[in-house]
Amino acid sequence: MEFIILAEVFKKMEETSKRLELTKLLVDLFEKTPHELISKIVYLIQGKLRPDFEGIELGVGEKLAIKAISKSSGIPIKRIEEDYRKVGDLGHAASIVLEQKTQTTFVVEDITIERVYDTLYKIATLDGPRSQDMKMKYISSLLNDANPLEARFILKILLGILRLGIAENTVMDALAAAYTGTKENRALLEKAYNVSSDLGKVAEVTAKKGLDGIKTFQVTVFNPIRPMLAERVKSEKEAMEKMGNKFAAEYKLDGERAQIHVKSNAVKLFSRSLEDITRHYPDIVEKIPKNLKVNDAILEAEVVAINEDSGEYLPFQELMHRRRKYKIEKAVSEYPITVNFFDLLYLDGKSCLEVEYTKRREMLQKILSENEFAKLVPMTVVQNDNEIEDFLENSINSGCEGLMLKMLDASYKAGARGNSWLKLKREYKNELGDSIDLIVIGAFFGRGRRTGKYGTLLLASYDDQNDTFPSICKVGTGFTDEDLDQLYQLLQDKVTLKKNPRIDSEMEADVWLEPELVLEIMASEITLSPIHKTAMNAIRKNSGLALRFPKFTGKLRLEKTPEDASTTQEIIALYKGQRKVIQNQKQI
Amino acid sequence: MSLVFSAITSGSDDLKAIISAISTLVEEATFVASAEGITFRGMDPSHVALIDISWPNSAFEKYECDSDIKFGVRIDEFSKLIKRAEKKDSIELGISDDNMLLVTIGKNKKYKIRLIESSASDTPLPKIPYDAKIELSSTAFDKILGDVQVVSDYLTMIATESKAEFSGKGDSGEVVIELQKGTDDVQDLSVKQESTGTYSLEYLNPVVKAVGTTTGSIICEYSSAKPLRIEFKVGNIGRIHFYLAPRVES
Repeated sequence: MEFIILAEVFKKMEETSKRLELTKLLVDLFEKTPHELISKIVYLIQGKLRPDFEGIELGVGEKLAIKAISKSSGIPIKRIEEDYRKVGDLGHAASIVLEQKTQTTFVVEDITIERVYDTLYKIATLDGPRSQDMKMKYISSLLNDANPLEARFILKILLGILRLGIAENTVMDALAAAYTGTKENRALLEKAYNVSSDLGKVAEVTAKKGLDGIKTFQVTVFNPIRPMLAERVKSEKEAMEKMGNKFAAEYKLDGERAQIHVKSNAVKLFSRSLEDITRHYPDIVEKIPKNLKVNDAILEAEVVAINEDSGEYLPFQELMHRRRKYKIEKAVSEYPITVNFFDLLYLDGKSCLEVEYTKRREMLQKILSENEFAKLVPMTVVQNDNEIEDFLENSINSGCEGLMLKMLDASYKAGARGNSWLKLKREYKNELGDSIDLIVIGAFFGRGRRTGKYGTLLLASYDDQNDTFPSICKVGTGFTDEDLDQLYQLLQDKVTLKKNPRIDSEMEADVWLEPELVLEIMASEITLSPIHKTAMNAIRKNSGLALRFPKFTGKLRLEKTPEDASTTQEIIALYKGQRKVIQNQKQI
Repeated sequence: MSLVFSAITSGSDDLKAIISAISTLVEEATFVASAEGITFRGMDPSHVALIDISWPNSAFEKYECDSDIKFGVRIDEFSKLIKRAEKKDSIELGISDDNMLLVTIGKNKKYKIRLIESSASDTPLPKIPYDAKIELSSTAFDKILGDVQVVSDYLTMIATESKAEFSGKGDSGEVVIELQKGTDDVQDLSVKQESTGTYSLEYLNPVVKAVGTTTGSIICEYSSAKPLRIEFKVGNIGRIHFYLAPRVES
């Protein structure tokens, strides 16, 4: 099939934004398309060569494209760059430049869709030392034979700037209309798409086998499922209105959502947008099969960066260190993670999508043996706004973003954002500017490099009215190896057999300490906490105050007595004086 | 039936030159071995340049081939091994029973590399009468290309009965280099008809550099606004022809 047919459709699509017109153009195109070619056309329409999860990316930069245009046209790079600046779109600029082309060739071949696709595929998969040069040659091989309109769209696809404004749903509408007679059948196509994440394959099967073919789509290991999404709610009250009066609440961890596919010890990971992210997490590939009692399974988890020695969750940004091409082993040891499972989509040959939430969670619990690396996301069943609020504060204090609320009897609706999952975040977060001075009241033994030392300390403020030391947070971040050695020396002879009665805490520390040593601590904010005792009941009934993301500044306040540390009253004042910042509306 | 194919070179320079010339154009190369010798013909993906090589059996130290065979290699993979050879090392090529390319360098280095499916279709050679023929040393030609490159992306050649003129023009300026017939610079100049041709340096430079040191002199043949053919005279090799499609002003 001639590429010019596609190029002309693309041109018309660029000129309209009406969904009905776009659908009509697609239907006409599909009706002209031979069945063997339909998947390729569907990918090209989306500016792709294969479904995202296969990771075939064109990755051609403007510089290389300009070089190729120069090579094909014989017109110097500078002049092409000038035209580009004038027109603002390299595809258009190329079509102007190529009208004046001067380089001749030995053979002229027709520009067919097959040829364009195959050449683009070669360009996307080339690697090696001379690949840039070969890419350029392949690009100019197309441009040499292309007319200006063809060249314009070939370049747009190459550069990833083909923006036709076509939603996946529009493509499915058109496929349903072209091959099954009516748009009404889109829902069936959508179902097939949701479990395969491959619109090209859906198109091909619809074209070749019609509705019977579409119904055979099944969940398959190593083929990602489009994730179920959650609607956002603003308050506990709104959540109750939408969910009824008994539902599940899970911590919403601040990490990367990963779909984990496992089959006889082989593991693949896909991101929320279904890119293959396996290579960022060799530790998951290595360890996870040992945590799972399954032959094959598809699970969902939140991958979170942690402080290995204290077990604390770290903010999402820390995970970005894993997104590198080289020296991934180094990133693995420097930025340790935990894998926090929250759903099970497929187990030992059977899809679990239709299984209700409670049962899926039960099955998940059964097949997962938890350890430091692999855990279940904390979950509880809640029945009123107070319970939600407590669980929300707990989650915030452990470094989470908020809660995911899930209907107990809901199936897993792949690819859909519905009311059976809600996300509840606080609308704003506080910003704590000052550092505070806190008293060490207890300690936990370290792991990993911190074995044999204290890895995490339990801290308290000073309540000068009751002359007690109510707990306020655990801290395991900000310590150098030298700090830890020194602290261990300093704290060893403060260990007491029984908790000093002035200490007010319900935590179970590994050792209790005489409240003597004062440390300077920074934190991202002060939050409500049902666990810690500082300012208990002062702001809210049954809640105290705690620090979120606390960090040791490096300063031991040896000159201060515990009674000189920050008082509960000061903490309350800081809590009230925090700057409130509206949370950005990050998509989950 | 087991096939017999064995070709042993004397020294490694010729093979290095051939591989490096081919590598400027394609990433996969298909060679044909027959009783007469080894040949290669390939065009770059943009169809602007073509290389035609014929390496006769007489050029080898020892050569045996009892039936025609085609073998395809990835040029970068092949090139890496060949570079492991010292200048004096002989190189033996053969095909193993499990269909791998055997490359024995010197006496004891035995490489085996995977062959690839040969995708090459027959590439026809451009058949054109050449009106102008310029022969000069490869170092002189390499210098001219370098001189022109300073201002231009392409080389224009004008040949008349008395002189050959090489020029280039770009945004920053222009250059003309004149070589008179009968001087040391020009080994031969024969012109049936005054001819002007323009060719891209992007293709010319790499191939001239690649064959460069191995060849003594080169022969450029062309006609106005028609392809250029460069013949590299490499010691033992029968023929290395490089064809380049012209640029024409529109």
